[in-house]
Amino acid sequence: MRTRPRRPARRPRTRRTTAVLAAALALSAGCAAGPDTAAPAAPRTIKPVRGCGASSWTDPADLSPGRAPARCARGAPAPVPLTGHRTLTIATGTLTAEYTAPLRVALAKGEFRKEGLDVRLKVLPTPDALPLLARGELDALWAAPEAAVVNGVHGGFDIRWVAGNFSPAPGSRSGLWVRIENGERASAVSLKGTTLGTMIGKGSVIMYPMARAFAAHGAALDAVTFRQLGPADVLTALTGGGVDSAWLLDPVWRQVDGSARYAFLGGQPQGEPLGGALYGPNLLTKDPDAGVALLRAYVRTVNTYFAGDYKADKAFTGELARLLGVDRAVLEAVPALRMDWEIRKGTTDRLQRAYRDAGVVKGDPLPENRLVDRRLYAEAVGHRM
Amino acid sequence: MTADRTDRPGPDRVVVRRPGPRELRPDRAHRRRRALEVALAVAVPLLLVLWWQLAAARSWIDARVYPAPGTILADGWHRALAGDLWPDVRATLQRVLAGYAAGTAGGYLLGLLMGSLSLVRAALEPLLDALYVVPKLALLPVFLNMFGLGEGPQIALVAATVFFFVWISTMAAVLAVPDGHRDAGRVFGANRWQMFRHVLLPASLPAVLVGARIAAGVAVLVIVASEQIAAADGLGHLIFDSRALFQNDVMFTGIVCVAVLGVVFSELVRLAGRLLTPWAPRDRGRGQS
Repeated sequence: MRTRPRRPARRPRTRRTTAVLAAALALSAGCAAGPDTAAPAAPRTIKPVRGCGASSWTDPADLSPGRAPARCARGAPAPVPLTGHRTLTIATGTLTAEYTAPLRVALAKGEFRKEGLDVRLKVLPTPDALPLLARGELDALWAAPEAAVVNGVHGGFDIRWVAGNFSPAPGSRSGLWVRIENGERASAVSLKGTTLGTMIGKGSVIMYPMARAFAAHGAALDAVTFRQLGPADVLTALTGGGVDSAWLLDPVWRQVDGSARYAFLGGQPQGEPLGGALYGPNLLTKDPDAGVALLRAYVRTVNTYFAGDYKADKAFTGELARLLGVDRAVLEAVPALRMDWEIRKGTTDRLQRAYRDAGVVKGDPLPENRLVDRRLYAEAVGHRM
Repeated sequence: MTADRTDRPGPDRVVVRRPGPRELRPDRAHRRRRALEVALAVAVPLLLVLWWQLAAARSWIDARVYPAPGTILADGWHRALAGDLWPDVRATLQRVLAGYAAGTAGGYLLGLLMGSLSLVRAALEPLLDALYVVPKLALLPVFLNMFGLGEGPQIALVAATVFFFVWISTMAAVLAVPDGHRDAGRVFGANRWQMFRHVLLPASLPAVLVGARIAAGVAVLVIVASEQIAAADGLGHLIFDSRALFQNDVMFTGIVCVAVLGVVFSELVRLAGRLLTPWAPRDRGRGQS
């Protein structure tokens, strides 16, 4: 007897297809992001803080290079433990840069724990961290209001720059260096049509001081060819003639400092921090108590350990080198940073102008209140705005 | 072909095979199969793109992170019309072509030499084997030191990558030429050049071109990674620069351009292979039965 050929069983295949589609949809739902509907923060009570007097706040409009950064007394503001324990994740592009030192010291000295915060650090480049910060998977970003941040906020991300980090010490010569030809004077150097080597892209906050230095030497950002190089290659390119000028970071500039063949044309403006803490919706609107607590711990760490020339204390420099995982000699080779938690007025306007000149941001410039929120550090030091 | 069988177990079981449509109407069956394959090749990517568009439009995915295909297309179109895209495409293309030509020529010559002369093979094979496993991107700093900051390091990196693919496939192809072919050449009194021209070249070229086609794809891969590190233009630079600036629509435009460039370049090499080796079994391409 013959039987008819069997038809392939279709039902399991259909089920499999349905399962794959369902998994794909579930995955997409996991990636889903609705609009960032940040509710306006409720008015908060600002109480005076012991140890943080008039010197704990400076006028944001004060752009003088010699401005003394805001300071409270050592150990102030005192911890105000949160009612419930919180775990916060902070992303940073690096854990070895000196500007992250207050963060590392605050962790090591238990300053966050005193506030009821369990802080975890995660190394993540800013462009990768931004969507996570906006979605609430990260609580804060220790970086800078780079062009990527401006573009993200333009796209609807609820992210604000809430605290500064540092400005360079008067003796620092981290910045734009140029090779001088045949007895040329530094003040007469023209940068127009030259090539610049940098390890930092056009979307970095450094574009702002760079644009200032260029303008002072007869060139606009678009009149210079940028060549992005690795950290080790920037100096080699400058000394070897591969580029005409270079943006040299700490402590690389020490290699050319004092040589008549190179001239320092300018660096980050003194008294004007260009980076620091950025918060997403978690700490801006959902849990501002934790946001203030995090900044209080940071401000206290600065007042306690970084109030002045912290490198004068050799034992502390050694401890810092161990914490950051860098050579102690590297730390000692350059002057101490001027740690500063405040944000100057108009910094984001100047940054956006530089980004626009470099062609790295789209759309109209954002007003400062879309990018900056000073209320949290003001509350931490008890200042009524 | 269809198979009918009896239900009776045991030694009396009879299997009858009847000719199916493929045997009865082979041309029609082949046409239908080709139509199905083409339809699948077009429909699957199209469905995926439509699903992506829908997911972005309905906010199932974050369109700021994964821009909708329509947005990517609009950005690409705008950049192409404004002339912003072409300098990057041209820069990448020039580096790929220059590096590919140098790497292919070097790999082919050395592959022939090592495939033909056992002493040369004994001298160079261990060294080249060792260099082959070095990630080529790790050589970029070396090339930067050797060639400076111009186009040299990028071209050298592509050439080094392509070289190994072509060298290995050429050497293996020459070694695999059957002794009978060489014997036939000798019987006809072929000299070294004639042996190369009429025996080794035709016998080895199909395999060499397979290696060259694989190398074409890898050349595009490597240049994109290299342009991220040490270039001021090119599609790799465009992708990673826009990623750093959180301009995801531009980044995806760059990715699409790289994909198109890779496919076109690989297909051109395949086409060149068909024209150069009409005697070789026809490579009918991916997904074609």
